[in-house]
Amino acid sequence: MKIYSTPTCVWCRATKDYLTEHKVVFEDINVAQDAVAREYMFKRTGQMGVPVIEIGNDVIVGFDEERIGKLLGLNS
Amino acid sequence: MNHGSIFDTIIVGSGAAGLSAGIYAGRYLMKTLIVRGNFGGETATAGQIWNYPGAPGVDGYDLMKNFEKQARDSGAEIINGKVTRAKNVDGCFDVSVSDKICHAKTIIFAQGAERRHLGLAREEEFTSKGVHYCVTCDGPLYTGKTVAIVGGGDASIKGIIDLAKYVEKIYFIVRADKLTRPEPVNLSELDKLGDKVIRLFETQVSELIGDKVLEKIILSKAYNGSNELKIDGLFVEIGAKPDIAVPISLGVALDKFGYIVVDNVMQTNISGIYAAGDTVNHFGPFKQTITAAALGAVAATSAYNFYKTKGELCKLHWKTSTK
Repeated sequence: MKIYSTPTCVWCRATKDYLTEHKVVFEDINVAQDAVAREYMFKRTGQMGVPVIEIGNDVIVGFDEERIGKLLGLNS
Repeated sequence: MNHGSIFDTIIVGSGAAGLSAGIYAGRYLMKTLIVRGNFGGETATAGQIWNYPGAPGVDGYDLMKNFEKQARDSGAEIINGKVTRAKNVDGCFDVSVSDKICHAKTIIFAQGAERRHLGLAREEEFTSKGVHYCVTCDGPLYTGKTVAIVGGGDASIKGIIDLAKYVEKIYFIVRADKLTRPEPVNLSELDKLGDKVIRLFETQVSELIGDKVLEKIILSKAYNGSNELKIDGLFVEIGAKPDIAVPISLGVALDKFGYIVVDNVMQTNISGIYAAGDTVNHFGPFKQTITAAALGAVAATSAYNFYKTKGELCKLHWKTSTK
């Protein structure tokens, strides 16, 4: 699973905190620095907002805790 | 709908005001529920904060994480969700949170405010496609690019200072003829940015143009002989409007600007309902983390004083509590 984020983005940090609290391993891609990843993210989602979360073939834009939890089977 | 627990107070919102209210209510040993909504409110997106006493240069997100931990440690329960409805039943309140109805003797509204939009055609279509409302979130995506920021208040100046770390050039679009509201220390930082920031006073954005993403804007006043300005991104920092749909449904009075009317102890016109933070206009346009936190503390204290003297449950809630 991958997160496309910027270092100062609150919702990116909230997403990463949430995943860390649930012991989920993820790859964090800083799109402020990585122009290739930024372009990929834009093509994949058609927009320039972060965070973008890739879970398998699913893509979530923004910190949608309920949907992330559902896809990862974290919701009780 | 599930019936949730009965609380002494339900705090709507988890910014500085809501979490501060939660810390105080918890320490008053009130059974407290905080409905999280947008975590951290405006403080969480503020970046570095230099005027919060005792914590110079603290990161806004980290500060709110500490507030939240302190509220939990004080005994407040925190749930994610949005309050969609609330009903006054014999002086107690049924509060709908996602698929649950929770009950409380008092409510503290601290849900803050939502970022104001420009109100232009295609603005929604271009949101996150060139038009943004959070510099700390999306500013770094414009590394090496040219952007514009619309504003004039302190938040826009702080936004420019943040953006300047990444972007090549910033057009600062201001409706007024000069800057009067920002903090002098931030204006001084702005001046240090020199020619990187081009100030366009007495100017507004009148049109957003682009195919799939924003490509240019039309200005109300010509710059360099043209009203058309080509930019990569537009940041909107023109303040916020209070989120008041649920308070209105309970009969809570608003002022002419749409903020909840409170007295000096954060009591609204409805018995048992209090409000704090950016949803009230207690200090006028001076809306800061320190003022929000203070108002939250006062609101929780008032809710506690009310609860101590008039905290008996109504018949409906008594019945629910004994099921």
